[in-house]
Amino acid sequence: MSAPEHNQSPDSQNTTTDNTTHFGFKTIDKEDKVSMVAGVFHSVAKQYDVMNDLMSFGVHRLWKRFTIDASGVRPGNKVLDLAGGTGDLTAKFSRLVGKDGSVVLADINSSMLNVGRDKLRDKGLVQNIKYVQANAQYLPFEDNTFDIVTIAFGLRNVTDKDMALRSIYRVLKPGGRLLVLEFSKPEHELLNKAYDFYSFNILPKMGELVAKDGDSYQYLAESIRMHPDQETLKSMMDNAGFEQTSFKNLTGGVVALHKGYKF
Amino acid sequence: MLQQVLTSSLELLINKALSLHTGKVDLKKLAQKTLTITLSELNFPISLSVDNNNIIVSGLTERTDCTISTSIKTLQLLKAEQQLTELIKQDKLELSGDMKVAQQFASVAENLNIDWQSELAAHIGDLPTHKLMQLGRNITDKLQFASKQIQADASEYLVHEKRLVVTRSQIEQFTQQINQVSSQVDDIALRIQALTKGLSNT
Repeated sequence: MSAPEHNQSPDSQNTTTDNTTHFGFKTIDKEDKVSMVAGVFHSVAKQYDVMNDLMSFGVHRLWKRFTIDASGVRPGNKVLDLAGGTGDLTAKFSRLVGKDGSVVLADINSSMLNVGRDKLRDKGLVQNIKYVQANAQYLPFEDNTFDIVTIAFGLRNVTDKDMALRSIYRVLKPGGRLLVLEFSKPEHELLNKAYDFYSFNILPKMGELVAKDGDSYQYLAESIRMHPDQETLKSMMDNAGFEQTSFKNLTGGVVALHKGYKF
Repeated sequence: MLQQVLTSSLELLINKALSLHTGKVDLKKLAQKTLTITLSELNFPISLSVDNNNIIVSGLTERTDCTISTSIKTLQLLKAEQQLTELIKQDKLELSGDMKVAQQFASVAENLNIDWQSELAAHIGDLPTHKLMQLGRNITDKLQFASKQIQADASEYLVHEKRLVVTRSQIEQFTQQINQVSSQVDDIALRIQALTKGLSNT
């Protein structure tokens, strides 16, 4: 299977019409996306960490470390790790904010949240972490609550990304910042082709072999291609009200870290 | 992402070293404290933060309590706590923030005592460990001997031999003089030849 080009228009990329959206390369009803994405993550939750290491050759740990370094987190900060899944960022943030700070690990998917909670508790991280099952579009927190919000490899699965960005903006404190770590568009054509080959030919087979679920990893590859490219996501953040927005390409643009402030 | 590769490796190494320490490492005094080190050889900072007897290594500078700017060579000397003020006096190290934090980190490094032999023996057995340590000591001794020899040879060369060695300009001057002499000899030979010819004609 070949990958379509990344769209440039936020509207065409995020939402096809008022009532439809993308699920990988498929166009589906908006209301179906949440349950379909949930199906994917219920299926892969237990093998999620193993697959992440395998698929990225462990580099996802460096991408996440880069995100932490860019966050400027201090002791006492309140952090929301949105779509936090199995809690890689939460674990690090929990140690860095200390006992006076707090981290909320939020995920729409209960299976992912359960795996994350078990993992963090096994590491002895219990003091300053709360777990909340939440949809990024309707965050159940008061206005101006968090110093930092991160969403790592989660935004592309959100049905209405603009709405999620506005919701995140609302819960951030003035001076707070959002960090979006997400797959993006490789900078060089050669890398793009190699990446396409890997994503559509090797990745689903690895998923089939390790997680016994090739379809979910086919969706992963497709959802990455349908996700807004670097500049488009930056303009979406601008539209949501974020200021001083910027992005940094990692591993040649395979992944990008977007950052924006609320003032 | 060199910074992230380095910080994650350092974090692994430091925490492993702390876990192998034969005594008890008490990091309570340093809880939630951060020491940032900026090395002249690297273009990014390395921050060491303490949480629950663990060291977190990151590139975060916003939370630092003390910043040390120095070089890798000087950093190796910093293991001894008393060295800190001495190195500042010698302008080999710049420090800003809470000096106590740097001293406490230096003290942890100084007091770290790891019984590598017994740790290794637990994994590969007593005899292989003994042999390996013996080999290690031999190699170290030989390297130290070679290093001393190189140092001695180098100082010998610099102090005595270098002064006696002919320089390039001296060689060039000498060659030039030889060429001059050679050309003079050629001239004289021609002249002698001409004179001899004149004599034989008369």
